[in-house]
Amino acid sequence: MLTLRKNKKGNALAASERPKTSLMIRKDVRKNWFPYLLAIPVLAWFIIFCYGPMWGVLIAFKDYKPLLGFEASPWVGFKHFVDFFQGPYFWRVVKNTLLLNLWGIGFGFTAPIILALLLNEIRNKMFKRTVQTITYMPHFISLVVVAGMIHIFTADEGIITQVLQWITGKEYSSLLGYSSMFRPLYVFSGIWQSIGWESIIYLAAMGSIDTSLYEAADMDGANRLQKMWHVTLPQITPTIVILFIFAVGGLMASGYEKIILLYNPLTYDTADVIASYVYRRGLREASLSYSTAVGLFSAVINFGLLWMTNNIARRKSEVSLW
Amino acid sequence: MNMKTFAKKIGMLAAVSALAVSTACSSGGSEPEEAEATDTEAAGKQEQVAFTDIGSDIKGNDKPTAEQIAEVNDTLNDTYLGDIFEQEIPSHYGAYPFPGDVTLDVWMPANPDVPDMNTQAVQDQVEKLTGIKVNFITPPVGQEADSFTLMISSGELPDIIIDPGRYPGGLEAGVNDGAYIDLTEQMEKNAPNYSEWRNSDEMRRKTTVTDDGRLLGFYGIAPYSEWMWFGMLIKQEALDKTGLEVPTTVDEWHAFLTKAKEVGYSEPLNYGSSYGQLFTGIINGAYGVWDWTFLDADGKVKWGPAQPKAKEYLTTMQQWNKEGLLNRDWATADFNQRMATAISDKTAVMMDSPDTMWSYWKQQNDFDFVGAPNPVLNEGDQPQVSYKNFMRAGTNAAITTQAENVEAAMAFLDFSYTKKGWELLNYGEYGKVHLIDADGKPYYPADSYIYEDPDGQPVATTLHKYRMHNWPDIRDEHNSNPLIVAEGSYSGDIRKTWTEEMDASMTMPPITFTQAEASREAELGNQLATLRSEYFAKIIMGEMPVDAYDKFLAEAQKMGLDEFLSLHQAALDRYNQR
Repeated sequence: MLTLRKNKKGNALAASERPKTSLMIRKDVRKNWFPYLLAIPVLAWFIIFCYGPMWGVLIAFKDYKPLLGFEASPWVGFKHFVDFFQGPYFWRVVKNTLLLNLWGIGFGFTAPIILALLLNEIRNKMFKRTVQTITYMPHFISLVVVAGMIHIFTADEGIITQVLQWITGKEYSSLLGYSSMFRPLYVFSGIWQSIGWESIIYLAAMGSIDTSLYEAADMDGANRLQKMWHVTLPQITPTIVILFIFAVGGLMASGYEKIILLYNPLTYDTADVIASYVYRRGLREASLSYSTAVGLFSAVINFGLLWMTNNIARRKSEVSLW
Repeated sequence: MNMKTFAKKIGMLAAVSALAVSTACSSGGSEPEEAEATDTEAAGKQEQVAFTDIGSDIKGNDKPTAEQIAEVNDTLNDTYLGDIFEQEIPSHYGAYPFPGDVTLDVWMPANPDVPDMNTQAVQDQVEKLTGIKVNFITPPVGQEADSFTLMISSGELPDIIIDPGRYPGGLEAGVNDGAYIDLTEQMEKNAPNYSEWRNSDEMRRKTTVTDDGRLLGFYGIAPYSEWMWFGMLIKQEALDKTGLEVPTTVDEWHAFLTKAKEVGYSEPLNYGSSYGQLFTGIINGAYGVWDWTFLDADGKVKWGPAQPKAKEYLTTMQQWNKEGLLNRDWATADFNQRMATAISDKTAVMMDSPDTMWSYWKQQNDFDFVGAPNPVLNEGDQPQVSYKNFMRAGTNAAITTQAENVEAAMAFLDFSYTKKGWELLNYGEYGKVHLIDADGKPYYPADSYIYEDPDGQPVATTLHKYRMHNWPDIRDEHNSNPLIVAEGSYSGDIRKTWTEEMDASMTMPPITFTQAEASREAELGNQLATLRSEYFAKIIMGEMPVDAYDKFLAEAQKMGLDEFLSLHQAALDRYNQR
């Protein structure tokens, strides 16, 4: 609220000096024309692919038939939203989306931080680089290939299945057929895919910590663990908070690609999320308006979550996106 | 700095550019439609062209000369073809070669064995004979549904769509929404062969027309009702090793599978599901728990999964699964995984097509096998099956509203319903692929490309490569499917026996829904299908107790099972009145 009020004041002030500002902008453009030029493709990308198609959400309130066109398709108001809220899969897809993402935050978010902290303690450069390279290699493997690997490793006689049987002493068939296995498989394979890559940003943040802080800690007799806890971690907290806001903002969103590559009707009750449901209804069953309504619903919730986390973060730690 | 004005300006800019972009796109999409080319000569050309009779040269000739081969392949002369079916196949060739330079775009789900439809052997020849060029648009294998939706959403349609029932709500909805054109008025004039063929039999007529008498597409129509094509198949060596007879009742099956496991088949019954094997009525039919809708004794529509003996069925299957009689990956295995297990020594019994297994078991791996009728509950019951072919075979085609030359599109599709089309599409090229016997019936000689492919591919592949297996045409499956007619193949016998011995009276005929019904039916149907797959699979896997079935039934009722059934009943009543 505080920043908001500030903005308003700023605007009121600036209103009387409008010509001056536009002159300033023009001057600035002339002076820094090259950076402006560089920004054009990005701006164009946003306009064409993000803002341009936005009016398309209106089909969520219509019974849209592509060949009849936007104009001729009848308005139906909130029918599709009501159908979704009252439909049999509403709670399931919302619950699955939230749970899958909470699992993701619980395990997937902390893993790269831990890896980065550990890597930071390694003094042998050769070893450190080797570990880094190995851990971020999976990031470059195509998702389809990753899904194929998961299918093979969790098949009837796949290595993961075998290990699990050896540990638990129970018989398993293909692990992707058990709905209870879906979340662990999804989240831990996700960690394997991205742990190295995501740790880079934390390592970079650690690299910029003032070494005098460590020297001071040494003087005070802090051991390694204490230095990690009292120096490194607080220093990278802003980075963690920003990334955490992003993660919470995406609580209701999730990529559908990996899910549709891994799920099957047997695991729908844990694996079917909003995005995969939208994909199935929209692209496979061609209920374009219905799936747009569902997508719009999750986008609105996401925005709310993002806004909420940002506010909390700003109050608690003075780090925020805006 | 004045952020607000700046933001406003950017916003305006964005809005204006978005508008510009969207208008540019839409103007690109709606090109002015060219006037339909009408050919004034066509009416005059419909007359029958007289051919010289080359029957005596071709019939029974197993070593045709190059000239004779050229005569058969390059001309429309069909005088050497006999009339082997109850009804004579029409032969109106007046429209060919079609005048002018026409290229039709045809959207068609591809077969993985045919890398490029545009170079498919048969299609080249069809183009030559009809004088109509065709450009095939094939979606990536496995993404047909997505690609179809994207194509419809883009608003850019080809001239012809194969398998047009993919349109949400079906063909009729597609016509009403302006995707396809109603062909009723033009059929007699522009598709004389199709019209004559579909009217030559009451069943054919009835299954190719809508409830209100409209003709919306070209349906694949067989000369006869094709045989039942899937069921229980047992490896001969499994019968030998167990020393048991072919089982008939569910109890005998249990005893057989148990014994088979004892003698070394670790997963005796391959019970695949990812492409539908779970619910093919093979075992569940014994309990009356048919996969989907069926007709009860009074001719009323019922839903299989809601039938009283469902719990018995589920208890049995759960038990079998627990005892390790089913393949362990039945819930997730795809076709290739299934076939890999089938040829291993784990499997004794497949639930599949005898044609497919003849290729994978006998031809490629030398396993002999026998077909068993669907299991029954009590000794002496007649085995039942909820599959009946209503002389509808192959696939369908519709012409889109964006077809520039409807007449050419109809002429192209109509060719498939001529005698020459029947020969060419079913049996491929004359000489290399097929010859004609003394009665004027095409056949594959032993050195046919079908059996002896120069590229060394198996019959399961060549049957798509040198002929058309799925096409809107007069599909002659029993005589032209090489997996059936190959020397030594008994898959046709198995299919024939199944068809003759089993009672298929509960099969639903091919009903159609009105547009208002269609979207609701599709929605309910999808929900019920998902619900059924989830519960049944989980109960059989033992992840849920059999009693979870009660919850399933309650949920199905809540979803609108009664409404779903009443939609089907109404459609059935209309069908019966066609």
